[in-house]
Amino acid sequence: MKKIFAMALMILTALMTGCGGEESAGNGRLSVMLQSNIVSLDSAQATDSASFEVIADCIDGLMQLDADGKAIPALAQNYDVSEDGKTYTFHLREAKWANGDEVTAEDFIFAWRRHCVESSKYAYIMGSTVACIKNADAVIRKEIDAENLGVYAIDSKTLVVELDAPVSFFPSLMCFPAFYPINENFYNSLEKNTYGTSPETFLSNGAFKLADYVPGAANIQLVRNDSYWDAARVELSNLQYQVVSSSDNALTAFKNKTLNLAVINGNQVVNVKNDAELSKNLQTIPTGLLNYLSFNQDYKNNHGGALANANLRLAISNAIDRESLVDNYVMNGSQATYTAIPLRFAPNAKTGEYFAADQKQFSDVVSFDVEKARGFLEKAKSELGLENFSLELIYANDSGDTVVKVAQAIKSQVEENLPGVTLNLQPMPKAEYLDRVTTNSYDIAITNWAPDYDDPMTFFTLWTTEGSEIAEHWSNADYDKIISDCTTGDLAAQYDERWSAMYDAERILLENAVIAPLYTNAIANLISSNVSGIEFHSVAIERAYKSAKVQ
Amino acid sequence: MGKIYTPQDGDFEFISGRDMNVDTNFASQGYWKGVAIHFFRNKFAVTGLILVSAIMILAICAPLVSSYSYQEIISITGDNGKEIVAKSLPPQFAGDNPNLFADKTFVFGTDDMGRDLWTRTWQGARVSLVIAFVAIFIDMLIGTSYGLISGFYGGNVDNVMQRLIEIAGSIPTLVIISVLAIFMDKGIGLVIASLLITEWIGMSKIARAECLKLKEREYVLASRTLGAGNFHIIFKQILPNTIGPIITQVMFSIPVAIFTEAFLSFVGVGIVLPQCSIGSLIEAGFNNITILPYQILPPICVLAILMLGFNLIGDGLREALAPKLEDM
Amino acid sequence: MTKYIAKRLIMSLLTLFAIIFVLFILIRIMPGNPFPVERMSAEMILQKRLELGLDKPILVQFADYMSMLMGGSFGNGTSLYNGAPIKPIMLKCLENSFKIGVLSILFGTLVGLIIGITAALHRGKFLDGLCTIVSILGVCIPSYVFMIFLQYFFSYKIPLFPYFFDPSRFLSSAVMPAMSLSLFAISTVARFTRNEMVEVMNSDYVKLAEAKGLYGLQLIRRHVLRNALIPIVTVIAPLVVDLLTGAMVIEKIYGINGVGKLMVDAIAGQGVDYNYVLALGIVFSALYIGIMLVLDILYGIIDPRIRLAAKDG
Repeated sequence: MKKIFAMALMILTALMTGCGGEESAGNGRLSVMLQSNIVSLDSAQATDSASFEVIADCIDGLMQLDADGKAIPALAQNYDVSEDGKTYTFHLREAKWANGDEVTAEDFIFAWRRHCVESSKYAYIMGSTVACIKNADAVIRKEIDAENLGVYAIDSKTLVVELDAPVSFFPSLMCFPAFYPINENFYNSLEKNTYGTSPETFLSNGAFKLADYVPGAANIQLVRNDSYWDAARVELSNLQYQVVSSSDNALTAFKNKTLNLAVINGNQVVNVKNDAELSKNLQTIPTGLLNYLSFNQDYKNNHGGALANANLRLAISNAIDRESLVDNYVMNGSQATYTAIPLRFAPNAKTGEYFAADQKQFSDVVSFDVEKARGFLEKAKSELGLENFSLELIYANDSGDTVVKVAQAIKSQVEENLPGVTLNLQPMPKAEYLDRVTTNSYDIAITNWAPDYDDPMTFFTLWTTEGSEIAEHWSNADYDKIISDCTTGDLAAQYDERWSAMYDAERILLENAVIAPLYTNAIANLISSNVSGIEFHSVAIERAYKSAKVQ
Repeated sequence: MGKIYTPQDGDFEFISGRDMNVDTNFASQGYWKGVAIHFFRNKFAVTGLILVSAIMILAICAPLVSSYSYQEIISITGDNGKEIVAKSLPPQFAGDNPNLFADKTFVFGTDDMGRDLWTRTWQGARVSLVIAFVAIFIDMLIGTSYGLISGFYGGNVDNVMQRLIEIAGSIPTLVIISVLAIFMDKGIGLVIASLLITEWIGMSKIARAECLKLKEREYVLASRTLGAGNFHIIFKQILPNTIGPIITQVMFSIPVAIFTEAFLSFVGVGIVLPQCSIGSLIEAGFNNITILPYQILPPICVLAILMLGFNLIGDGLREALAPKLEDM
Repeated sequence: MTKYIAKRLIMSLLTLFAIIFVLFILIRIMPGNPFPVERMSAEMILQKRLELGLDKPILVQFADYMSMLMGGSFGNGTSLYNGAPIKPIMLKCLENSFKIGVLSILFGTLVGLIIGITAALHRGKFLDGLCTIVSILGVCIPSYVFMIFLQYFFSYKIPLFPYFFDPSRFLSSAVMPAMSLSLFAISTVARFTRNEMVEVMNSDYVKLAEAKGLYGLQLIRRHVLRNALIPIVTVIAPLVVDLLTGAMVIEKIYGINGVGKLMVDAIAGQGVDYNYVLALGIVFSALYIGIMLVLDILYGIIDPRIRLAAKDG
């Protein structure tokens, strides 16, 4: 018994001496919240915005985004475009990797080839639907060797890229981490599959260096990279990421000054708005993430293929009160969306107007109108000879409580506005969700999609016959033709014609109610009042800290 | 009175089989009556019974008589035609309330979807009680029999049975449920099935340990000498004496069952919303715990009262079933 | 005794083999792909399956896996962390979870025993009731809710401990998660200790010992505790496994890079990472079996009658 007490006493004293006070962020030290773990620091493996953000902190690409989201040169000092728009020549500046090596054109070639060969998630971005790099599709399919990829080095500082079609947004595409360089010698010196799994196995040439990281860690530490070519611009000495999964916890951690930048959800936003002090720190940033319903049109699906009927889909799309969704349940500044392209994304290069600026454009087919929705439903009922529809609504529940609330609200609205339609909610882990949408065993799925580059095509290519893995099983020859014309065909080089053709494609899409757009995401950030200069973007890299300051 | 009874042929008959033994005759006379008397004399046990009954009655009746359904989102249309939802309202009674829903009563307030928490709490209690009772009752039957048999026979039987338990206990719950989810629809059934597979192990461990301890006792030896069969000894002699620890284990299994269910909803294989359970309500309240604390209080309090009640009943039963404790 | 232990050890290894086999089959039945399929075309998926050898007959795959295990490797991930080798990553997580688990077991058992013994010694009195209520409340409050309370009061209101887990200040950041995790252990241990002690205190041999003039601590230590310990050890053992194998929600809230979180990431992440689930499953099982083995041997030490019974069997 005495021993036990002695032990208890020992532990107690150990604890007391071990307790430090809180560490206040400051002195060029910024502590930022992430909502989920980063997937990978390997640009060929990363699939999520959190990974892209950290990669972009550490590695510079040819181009970077400025504060307004425009592409400006980074490692490329400048670039030339050939007359036909199919050849880009990038002239690299003097820059060094953190180990002292020069950043060369070969580093880019190595990374891009590797990316195609590994044929991971983002390999498609090299191919004919996006960047149109010569031979990329064939390399991804392993039909020809990676040496044939349309990217060459004239000398160690000049990189030439050949494209199959003129891609108007190619320079802005270079901001995307998939196109970042990897130091070939360093990579080859590592054990297989270990690149980017620790500070020792990751080499940066950007504003920050990795100081502390293990895969899956909730805490990632970055420090300033003094050998960065633009080091004068970087003021932060320390950048710390903390994964916080609960919005409530994030709010308390922010009040506690453990976080300088926290992301909060609807209920917390309401709470913060009622607080005179805290509301000054609230900053709502619109993103390009579109939330929408995918309808599975395959006749083989679980419920007799009723969703192959366009009127049933239109009925559901018109029975959803999107304003109520964002006002009552999402509540973080997200905006109701009635187009297939999110708001505040892809501005027209000439007029500067966002592609989806006119939200009333398709109001005849996407709106909230119970009468109209019931009309569509009656048509669907008589066409199908059915009175009742029991449909399954699936969603991945790993992304916080917002999607759970949205799903319940949609169920409630649809069932109330469309008598005879029942929605059965089926939440599931992400892995199962992805499996079901790819293997076509779902009725309706709550989906979201973030743009990879600043062009509406990042969305439109999703719904072609060959489209993405989320198989709506919809196929429309007219739609496919417009899209192929706009990516690799005649329209690729004609800006205005291409732009208006895309509206035509959008109309086909929405008249058929292939998807029901819901809302464009916004992120409600709490930012400490002594922090300034954090840049927010709606494409590819959500946050950048190169010019961030802590007073 | 006054009439003299004449013995007749049918009054006696021969004992059939050798398994009969004498001492049960004494025990069977009013045994349960005795238990009941002991139980109801215990103030704590009666309090527990009242608490649990009260919660059960509310769980059964409250959703029936409530003016809202548990999945109904309460809303009105505002002046500008926009829908206003009665979400996140603190507890209020009809009358002078500083909001648009002044004439409505929300005893526990509303949740962040604008549903009446009073109705949802009792609906949740109902679902959780059903899950816990069904799962734990079956677990108790399986686990206790398994543990007693394993412990009693010992040797190779015990060895093989324990290894089977190790195999069953080692497969991660998430794996089992994911596989089960292929064959069953998500919802209450799946939760019960997964609890059945995972929770009986603890029960059988307790039963086995008790059995190991008891089977060497003198009364078992005596019973055996008198010619009692193995199953008679296990279920008539040892089982009643293991009831104490088993009931204690059952009382602990109920919150475990409720929380396991909550954990399952956390990873997306539990109760499907808008259906609710105590676990899923705690889970939902947890998302807003510091800013809307009244949302998590009702389910936690209901759970705490239930637990307290069950434990008091458990203690009462233990003492009533094993009267030897009482004369101390 | 040595022969008995050796026999049990061989049995345990056989069990472990059976578990690996069952797990291997189950994981392949699970819904979800072993790698993230988002934005991959059908042919890319097929190619990936070939790379991972998923086209081979399942028994061949199992044989391959076992030979790899025998070589001391858990292989590489199929979807998590770029397919990096599993072992170092898993060891790191195990280390974090183990340290916190051990702390919470120590704390939980200690406090539980104290509460249980106090209650038993004051049976039927006020202290007994208080202890009962405390131990019941302990199981009612989910550990993660308690964790949030601790974070709120002891990190935000009174800044005693770091708000999130900080490996460089291990001890002070381990206090709050260990305390919240130990709630359930405290309750269970306290309840069982009390009930067992009461039962033992009423037994004839304790009465005899009392009659012989033993009293107080000596009586409790020599006679009561020793006999009450068997069922208590039985309830602690599975708790130990539970606590060591991590608590996913707490790890998530407090940002601990532990095995509970790793397991959930492996199952419910972008894909079902077959190799991580297997590796973790094997480690958990080995732990579980190991503890059961120790338990059986402990029984023999605590209660000689069991040892004798085992010898007969």
